[in-house]
Amino acid sequence: MTDSTLADWTEMYAALWRIRLFEGHVQRLAAAGEIPGFPHLSTGQEAVAVGVCALLKPEDVLFTSHRGHGHVLAKGSDMEATFAEILGRRSGLCGGRGGSMHLVDAANGVLGATGVVAGNLALAAGAAWAAQAQGRENISVVFFGDGATGAGAFHETLNLAALWRLPLLFVCENNGYAEFTSREEHSNVKHVSSFAAPYGIATQTIDGNDLPAVFAAAAVAIETVRRGAGPYLLECMTFRMAGHYVGDSQQYRSKEELAEIREKCPIDRLKRHLLERGVSMEDLDAIGERTKNQVLGALERAYAAPRPDPATVLEFVYRAPALASIPG
Amino acid sequence: MTQIAQEIPKVGLVMEEVKVVRWLKNVGDNVIAGEPLLEVETEKSVVEIEAAVTGRLTEILVHADGRAVVGDQVAWIESAQAQSAAATTLTPRTADPKADAPLSSPAATSSRERLRSTPIARKLAAEHGIDLIGMAGTGPGGRVQLQDVQRAIAATRATLVGAQPPSPMRRAVARAMTLSHTTIPQFTVARAVEWTLLQTLRGEFSARLPDAAPKLSVNDFLMQALARALIEFPALNATFSGDPESASAHLVQASGAHIGLVVAVDNGLLVPVIHEVEQLSLAEIARRRHDCIRRALLGRLKREDLDGATLSISNLGVNGPDRFTAIINPPQSAILAVGRPRDCVVPRDGDIVVRPLSDLTLTVDHRVADGRLAALFIARLVAILEGRDWRLE
Amino acid sequence: MQHTFIEILRRALDEELTRDPAVHLLGEDVAAGGAFGVTRGLAQKHGIARVRNTPISEAAITGLATGAALCGLKPVLEIMFIDFATLSMDCLVNQTAKYRYMSGGQLAVPLVVRTQAGAAGGAAAQHSQSLEAWFIHVPGLVVVAPSTPVEAYGLLKSAIRLGDPVLFIEHKRLYTMKEELGEGAELPPIGRARIARPGTDVTLIAYSAMVQTALAAAQNLADEGISAEVIDLRTLLPLDMATIAASVSKTHRAVIVHEAVLNGGVGAEIAARIGAQLFDELDGPVLRVGCPFAPIPFAPELERALLPGSADIARAVRQELLE
Repeated sequence: MTDSTLADWTEMYAALWRIRLFEGHVQRLAAAGEIPGFPHLSTGQEAVAVGVCALLKPEDVLFTSHRGHGHVLAKGSDMEATFAEILGRRSGLCGGRGGSMHLVDAANGVLGATGVVAGNLALAAGAAWAAQAQGRENISVVFFGDGATGAGAFHETLNLAALWRLPLLFVCENNGYAEFTSREEHSNVKHVSSFAAPYGIATQTIDGNDLPAVFAAAAVAIETVRRGAGPYLLECMTFRMAGHYVGDSQQYRSKEELAEIREKCPIDRLKRHLLERGVSMEDLDAIGERTKNQVLGALERAYAAPRPDPATVLEFVYRAPALASIPG
Repeated sequence: MTQIAQEIPKVGLVMEEVKVVRWLKNVGDNVIAGEPLLEVETEKSVVEIEAAVTGRLTEILVHADGRAVVGDQVAWIESAQAQSAAATTLTPRTADPKADAPLSSPAATSSRERLRSTPIARKLAAEHGIDLIGMAGTGPGGRVQLQDVQRAIAATRATLVGAQPPSPMRRAVARAMTLSHTTIPQFTVARAVEWTLLQTLRGEFSARLPDAAPKLSVNDFLMQALARALIEFPALNATFSGDPESASAHLVQASGAHIGLVVAVDNGLLVPVIHEVEQLSLAEIARRRHDCIRRALLGRLKREDLDGATLSISNLGVNGPDRFTAIINPPQSAILAVGRPRDCVVPRDGDIVVRPLSDLTLTVDHRVADGRLAALFIARLVAILEGRDWRLE
Repeated sequence: MQHTFIEILRRALDEELTRDPAVHLLGEDVAAGGAFGVTRGLAQKHGIARVRNTPISEAAITGLATGAALCGLKPVLEIMFIDFATLSMDCLVNQTAKYRYMSGGQLAVPLVVRTQAGAAGGAAAQHSQSLEAWFIHVPGLVVVAPSTPVEAYGLLKSAIRLGDPVLFIEHKRLYTMKEELGEGAELPPIGRARIARPGTDVTLIAYSAMVQTALAAAQNLADEGISAEVIDLRTLLPLDMATIAASVSKTHRAVIVHEAVLNGGVGAEIAARIGAQLFDELDGPVLRVGCPFAPIPFAPELERALLPGSADIARAVRQELLE
């Protein structure tokens, strides 16, 4: 445990709950047909998002994958605007053009989620290069799953980032599954961190469901990146409590496995930890209750927000005004 | 009940296209076969078309101002009657008749291959009222293209100031005369006729007719004389039908003496027919002549007024040429051109006398008759005209 | 003083690097001058941090350039051959082109991807393709294909300053073409075609090196008394239909010329639009001239046999006008 205060930990406890409850509503609304498309939940993996993002500065930029709700919220994006985007509302982060898999909140440094596995790794490297080239202090962080390590772009980006000593933090959420297929069936390489060594990239594999452990490791990693020592690969072993997407019946997982995963719930673990440190159950319940109300309030406001105007559907294809007016 | 199609029958000479002027019956009205059903404007006049069958008018396919050609169906008549000659039966009527019946567009009934033309050519042609049909295209595969239409427009402009497409009347005359000239081998025979006696008789007869009656004209005498001659020479009182090469070619013998009279109207001519002239007195001929000329000038001739003649008279009057030849009006087989009457020096019984004469020039369809018959016919005609044997009343 | 296409491109890049510190060049071998020498000397002048060599990792460097463009740089990425842009496709199509739209206008990608295309000198099937049609299918991209050194100079500068992602397709046959570059000429706007040669009888619509071929054909046709107007599209996406419409409304005939195969090509798109928008103006079918449907072969005889030339264009025009 670093020098963080108990107040910091209770705040992170609230952050975990925010994501958990937020995604609970997403799951419910998606199942009810209120959310278009197919959102992907990070339930069970919240500690990685919260632990890493707690150490980021507002000017640091973040890229994430299709399973990115937690990262966006942990980075501090407005819950209502994020909800509104996932619901496809005009007041959403992207005005309803992006949705769950394409959340962007540029003002908050969230430069984007992507629906293409491994699609954002090189972009994150580019953001890091821009910071480096322009002498800015910020770093770039990219979250991805272990499934992304099968893509060539992952290896190309590791090479480039190391070669150019880019201020880039790779955060791999190794949840053991690439979509519906287990890691064992994907690769002989058990740990993603193994890929770092040949490129000379500093790395660590940690328990991603242990928030204090994530926080501690992320602190080291971010400090390394920020001081210009080049990229860092943080591999967080975690578990996806939900399916690949909402509606995935997870027939490829056993009951025993799912039960075991529930035992490892990062929220329960932090709760036990805080109780051991003397925080009262009443206080924790109060945090939970307060968070629940916050999330519900944000959801209700987002839900009631107006839908996009179909007449605006051609806006934002091009920036140059001369091009925006030319059809095709 | 049967749905019977009312068609446009052939009217007049070589009528092809008509414009519907108005319907004389409404949908739902009962009609009787032979009763006037609609008025159409042909190249030459407005004529009434009679209902083909007795029944109830159920649908009008070509409305007023619409165009149709001979054989086009213009209406459906629901009838219990058997099929008429001018009607096509469609039984049972299961679908929209429009799907089966050709409509008013000439193109719809044309078996002509689709005209190949470019979009801009069609657009420009439409703007200038140019008909692409028949235009020789210079594009690939004979496609009518822009330059072809532009040339056609330029050609129109290059001709006389105010050049225009021919009026329907002009076109009809052109078509009839072209048909005559290209399909009828024609020869002429001529004789002079002396009017001395006829002029005297005409004066006497006129005096005997009521003041209100139309005045007798030389044409009335010509009609009666020709009628008599035609009955005497039935071989000339016939028309030729069909391609001479074809097995179906035949001569159509006329039942009586039906004689046309060429009437000059604005920008053309009309040839109303007086039927069964052999049965008519001079007074009746005059009355009928007077009536049909009046109606010709008003454009109100009916279809039967234009049909059935074997021979016509073309008389250009007292101020006309000394002599001329006329071209046969198809499908007739002869036409008599009457030169102006003039005083001529004639030998008479060893003396020289001056008498009023006209040159009569008869043009004959050589497919129907030969020169000898024509010579006999015109000699007989002159004899009748110079004689006293007239039927006044 | 005349300069080659390559020299004039280099000058445009040099001037933009000098003008705007956000401009950075990157790509395989660019610090060493690039495979065709376009960037020769620029690393020495502007530093290897701004004229930056990359590994042979088209997927990553396209993503890198895109990410950098999101964060304030104006990268000019060189993809050595358009054939290798296939490896950049995921990023260009799924990320680069859509970023502005998906983010609801929060972000833009001021990126120029310079690449070169076309057949010449036995480069054969994997280094000779004309793949521009794949890219005109993607909303958010801009596709530019210059036809002369001076055009390339202005269009490249305009592309760098545009603010939207541009695929800038150079043609290797044009690299040795020489022109004199005047001073202070106005930069041609992206999205506007130009009339390369005025005429009245038929409109030849071309881009890239085929503009030169079309001009040669127009010259030969002039000797036969046929006046061909040649449109240089310059920008393939978006298409300047206004210029095409004005010309075709005058000549009433159109022949579209490109080196790419006809199937699903730029010409097919233009022909469809002419058919839909200008139907009543047409005095003949819209024809296309392009490569027969085969990969580009290696042997010079075979390569020549496949590539459309000015005689093919003239033949199409005669077919349009005379047959």
